[in-house]
Parts: sequence; C-alpha cells; structure tokens
Amino acid sequence: MSAVLPPVSPRRRRTDTVMRGVVGVLTGLAILPLVLVLYYLFSKGVGAWSVDFFTTDPSGRFFGSPGGVRSAIVGTVLIVGVATLMAVPFGIGVALYLVEYGKESKFANVVRYFVDVMTGVPSIVFGLFIYITLILATGFGGFAGWKGSLALALLMLPVVTRAGEVVLNLVPDGLREAALALGAPRWRVVLRVVLPTALPGLITGSLLAVARAAGETAPLLFTATIVKGTTLNLNDQMNSLPAQIFNDVRQAQDRIVERAWGSALTLVLMILLLTLIARLVQRRSRLT
Amino acid sequence: MNPDQQTPETTREATDEVADQSLQRQAVVAKPEPKPAPGTGAARRITVKSLNAYYGDNHAVKGLDLVFEPNHVTAIIGPSGCGKSTMVRCLNRMHEEIPGARASGEVLLDDIDVYDASIDVVAVRRAVGMVFQKPNPFPTMSVFDNVAAGMRLSGARGKDLNEKVESSLRGAGLWEEVKDRLGTPGVGLSGGQQQRLCIARTIAVEPEVILMDEPCSALDPIATLKIEELIAELKRRYTIVIVTHNMQQAARVADRTAFMLTGDMVEFAATEKIFTNPDDSRTEEYVTGKFG
Amino acid sequence: MHEARYAFRQELRKLEEQALGGLDMVESTLGRALEALEHQDVELASLVIVDDDRIDGRYLEVHQGILSLLATQAPVAGDLRLVAALLHVIKHVERMGDQCVNVAKVIPLSGHEPPIHEEILAKVLEMGQLARSEVRQSKQAFELRDVALAEDLVRQDQLINAHNREVFKLALEAGDDADVREWAMHMILVARALERVGDNAVDVGEQVAFVVTGLFREFADASRVSSREE
Repeated sequence: MSAVLPPVSPRRRRTDTVMRGVVGVLTGLAILPLVLVLYYLFSKGVGAWSVDFFTTDPSGRFFGSPGGVRSAIVGTVLIVGVATLMAVPFGIGVALYLVEYGKESKFANVVRYFVDVMTGVPSIVFGLFIYITLILATGFGGFAGWKGSLALALLMLPVVTRAGEVVLNLVPDGLREAALALGAPRWRVVLRVVLPTALPGLITGSLLAVARAAGETAPLLFTATIVKGTTLNLNDQMNSLPAQIFNDVRQAQDRIVERAWGSALTLVLMILLLTLIARLVQRRSRLT
Repeated sequence: MNPDQQTPETTREATDEVADQSLQRQAVVAKPEPKPAPGTGAARRITVKSLNAYYGDNHAVKGLDLVFEPNHVTAIIGPSGCGKSTMVRCLNRMHEEIPGARASGEVLLDDIDVYDASIDVVAVRRAVGMVFQKPNPFPTMSVFDNVAAGMRLSGARGKDLNEKVESSLRGAGLWEEVKDRLGTPGVGLSGGQQQRLCIARTIAVEPEVILMDEPCSALDPIATLKIEELIAELKRRYTIVIVTHNMQQAARVADRTAFMLTGDMVEFAATEKIFTNPDDSRTEEYVTGKFG
Repeated sequence: MHEARYAFRQELRKLEEQALGGLDMVESTLGRALEALEHQDVELASLVIVDDDRIDGRYLEVHQGILSLLATQAPVAGDLRLVAALLHVIKHVERMGDQCVNVAKVIPLSGHEPPIHEEILAKVLEMGQLARSEVRQSKQAFELRDVALAEDLVRQDQLINAHNREVFKLALEAGDDADVREWAMHMILVARALERVGDNAVDVGEQVAFVVTGLFREFADASRVSSREE
C-alpha cells in the first residue's frame, strides 16, 4: 500500500507566491532610497575628487581655486578620535557596572533609564549644552576642537553603553561562575574573563557609535565651528567634514557645491569602512 | 564472619551441601567503610551544621546536618528542586552570588567555619573547588591557558606554570590526549574532554575538596564512564561531593549517599545500604522509581 | 499507567507469580507421588517422573525472567531483594521437584507386591502430608510477606525430622524377612527425600524474612545440633 501524503494545495502555493512577492517588493522599496542616495553621492561627488581635494585646505576665496578639504578630513579624524577616547571607556564602564555589579538594583535601573533617555536626545542639544557651559560661560575660552569632541562623546556614550550591555549579557553566566569558583575576586573575573570574551562585541558596538558620531553636524557647529586651516591643536577651532559640507552647500559657486558632494562621499565612505571593520570583528566573536 | 561448619550430614544431599557451604551465614549488613587510601593528606572533612539556605523568601534548604568524610565520595540524590544543588553551592559560598540568596548555619572545613565573618570568601573557593554541569572552559583561552587560568585568576604570577599544568592535566586523565595541542582553543575539545579540562583547571589550584554539580549530565555514556573512573582516582587525594540525578551513577561512584527531599535530608548512609535496604520508606520509594 | 514504572512492576509481579506457582506444582506433584506410594501405582509413579520436566521448565522460565529484569530494569532496594529471593525460591522449587522424583523412583524398585510394614508406611505418608502442608505454608508466607508464618515452618519441619528418625529406627528393627528389610531400606530413602522437601520449604521461609527485613539468617532448624541466633 502506498502511503497517503497529500500534495501541496494550489491555494497554498498561490499564497506562498503572493507573500514572497509582497515581501520582495517591500524589501526593494526599503533599499531603493539607500541605493539612490549612494548613486547620487557617487555620481555627484566623485567628480570633486582630486589630489588637491585631499591635500589642500579650503581657501575661502571667492575667485580662484577653492582648495580641497584637507583640514576638514584631518579635523574629523581628530575630533572623532578624541571623542572615541572619551566615550568608549566611560560607556563600557557604565555597561560593566550595569551588568556585573548593579544588575537589577534600583540604582542600576535608574541608570538604565537615563541611558535610554540619552539615546533619544537630539544631537544639537548636546552641542548647545557644551556651548552654554563651556563657551558662553567665561573662563573656558572660545570654540575648540576638544569641546566638539566632548559634545560628540556625550552623543556616543549611551550608544556604547547600550551595545556594551547587550554584549556583556551574552557572556554566559557559566563562565563567571567558573571563574568565581576558582577563587577569583570579582574584578579579576570581569577583567580576565568577561571582558576578553565580550571584546569583539564591544569593539563592534564602539565602532558603530563612532560611525554615527562622525556624521553629526549640529554639535560641531556650536563647539568647534568651521575654520579653513588645518590645525592639530585641539584647543583651537577646528574644521570637520560635516561642518565643511554645511558651509559649502550654501555657496553660489558650482565648484564649491561640488566640493560639498565630494566631502559627503568621503564621509560616507569613511563611515562605510568603519562599519565594514565592525562586521569583520564581529565575525571573530564567539558569542553571536 | 563465622567459618562454614561441617554439619551432621546423614540427612543432606551432596549437592545441597555444596550450595549451603557457599552461603553467607551472616546477616547481610553494609560492608565496613573503605579506608581512605594514603594520599597527600590534603583532603579535609566538611561538617555541615544547621544549614539553611534561602532564595528571597523561598526556604530551599532546611536545617541540614551532614558530614563529608575526607577521601570519600559522597553523593547527594533527590528529585528536582529538592535543594541538593543549593546545598552544595553553600559549601563553597557560591550560593550567595545569586541576587537575593542567603544562607545561615555552619559549614566547617575541618574546624574552620567558612561562613565566619573573618574568612575571605575567595580563600574558601580556592580550598573548595567546583565542577559544573555544563563544561565551561574559557572560550578566549587555549587548553594550557585554561588550566593555568585557575592559578592566574587567584593571583599566581609568572612562576613556571608548565609543570603544574602538566600534572593537573595528568590528574584529570587528559594529558595524553592534549599534550600535542596545548595551544589550541579550549572550546575545541569534545564535551567529555572539556569537562576533564575543567576538572584539571579546578585541581590546578590545589583544593582540598571538589564539589561536582551533575558533572556528567551533558556528556555521552563513554565520557561519563571516563569521568566516573576519574572520580575513583581523585578521591585518593581529595574529598569529593557529587550531586547527581542519576541514581545508577551514585550507586557506582559514591561511598556514602544522602537523599534529600524538598530541602530536608531524609536519609544519609552507606551507598550500599541506600540501594539494598534503606531505612526510610521515602528513600525506598525514590530509588525504586515509585516517584521522582 | 497510573503507577510509576508500570511495565517493570507488572513484570516483577508476573515473575513472583511464576515462582510461587512452582510451589503449587511441587505440592501437587508431591501429592501424586504419595498416592503412588500408598497404592504401589507404578504408572502414576512414572507420570510423576516425567512431569518433573514441567517443574524444570518453570525453573528455566523464572531464571531467564530474572536475568532479563536485572539487565533491563536495574532493580534496587526492596525490588532487588525480591528478585534475589525469587532466584533462591525457584531453585528450591526445582530441588523439591527432584526430591519428588526420588520418591517416585523408589516405587517400581520395591517390586509389584512387596511386603509392607504398616507402621513404617503410615509414618512415611504422614511425613509426606506434613511436607505438603509446609510447601503450602511457605507459599502463603511469601505471598503475604508474613515473617511469623515463615518462622512457624520450623515447627512443622521439626516434626518431619522427628518422624524421619523414627522411620530409621523402625527400619533397623524391621525383622528377619529379607524382602521386608529391603523394602524398609527403600522407605528410608523416601523418608529422607521428604525430609529434604521440608528443609527446602524452610529455606523458602528464610527468603521471606530476607525480602522483608533485608537480613539473611538461618531459621533454627533441628538438623543442627545447636541453633545459631544473631
């Protein structure tokens, strides 16, 4: 006797095809803007690229060569770099507190709530905050690169903490137990076992926070502002790519507008690179 | 034991004679406790007095009194939720690591109460090691580093760890299998090997007692057997307490067995007695499978 | 399937029934052997001899069942003691069956019209009935797990043993007729076989005590000059 296994009904087949189609269309629609943006960026921006683009500062002159965006690139790298140095240790520290020590205590829950709130604060507010406390208030000097870094760090902090908390929670409790049971004080357990295990995830989280901060314009407008010259002194006003783009886009000259596109492309590519590295590091993680 | 005696034999058949002479004419009582084999003398006795353990309001262990003899294997059996794991975790003060958990009573390592306020928790855990149900080698470390981890985590610096690592791996019966791949990741070993790696890591810090919380639950039968043989070896140097839900395993490896039920200890006796003629009817019902 | 380990408990119960059923088989076989003896029925005697195969078969069945149970179910505590006891019991059943055969074998040997010493025959038949009653009681004691009932078997066994000694004495004084003396010697063998049946029944009683208490001890029985207590 042959077994009776009914075949797939035509109705089911149709439903399946329809659903596949719907999901596919929706996905396509979602990706479309991204593709368009990248296409525009590329087509409009690559024309501005040249050796000069990368090696000279904006000249600020109305006539003649408009110059490149070297100061902006250098500025972005410096400001964001310092912001990372400020935000990442703090962010991971808070995450460590929440996961390893605070856990479900009232204080820890309050901290979590505040971190959540911070992720929603508009970036311009951070810029304003630094502007009011460190620039308008006397005794702190004027615009400076490090103040821009500070504003960006405030922006990055909750992102690093949030991502860090997720990754640290992924570290199996069994590892902590094993380390504790071997007779290790808790700080050693965290330092020698939990952190190394969570490291790839923490790096990924940090890189993503960096990628986000690199593109923020508003905070920098109030804190580091826009200058023409390349400077390595963080105490001075510093240029940055977002600020430069903001400035160039409003100019009348086509070449300068084109330079803005070039800057935008550069910025996007830098962020893309960071994200790529984050992904590669992620692959090495044994947790996810 | 009374020697077999020749009885007046006019009324017995020859075959019955032979059969009777091989009969034990003694009441079948538990064999005398096996004498501990000569070891390093490091193994300590653990005496538990009026141990109570709580998870918040949940009274998980209710006033337990128990003695774990040095160089013996003691098994704790009982149905799920009876408090056996909780009780064992009180022995190395891991119970209090759980938020909301607390314990009271005395746990004496020979004559030192590990719950005494002046005692360093970390020192307790170095003296009382633990092997867990799921093998948990540190994923970022090699086989060598895993075994050395115990020592490094407790603050040992730089001294030549090679010898200690080798002797620990030998003690865990793993040396031959990993001696050529000490640098490979610890998590790359099979389940049974990982568990033996964890055992090596535990004995590398030179504890006096080893607690095992269902060490073979996650392993296949052959790996389980290897670990059971290892336990028989280990008891020569350490005191061993093993929690297991596998009664056959308790019967195989343990010298003494304690049966727990909802936080109380029902019966604690030589393993042979528990499995041939237990005193308490609840013990009888549990080991014969009438519940649990 | 309301009971835990239902299949196992069923198997254990069945095994016990089979083993105790062996005691029933012994009791009826013994009855037939005694009847054959009383009426010098050679045909009945040969039936008894052949029928012993059934008892041997029962022994093999129970033995195999025990091995299987030990291998597949790993019984412990009370269950383990029961299984061990059943192994002893069925062995005793088999021995008792062999003793019945010994009784039956004697009958043709004594010739078709042997001279009969009435007193000896009566004593032997009484021994036989006592033995049957012991076998019945041992089965009951096991079924009910009644230790007192098991210990009472000793009392009956002492009676059998007393009868055995008397038969021996009577046979010695059997008289000058060679045929009678020869018959009397055969009766001694029968008496001895019956006495052995009684001993085996007492042994079954000892197993009852073992299952219940977990301790194995010899009941004081009269074949020992002095009884040994714990």
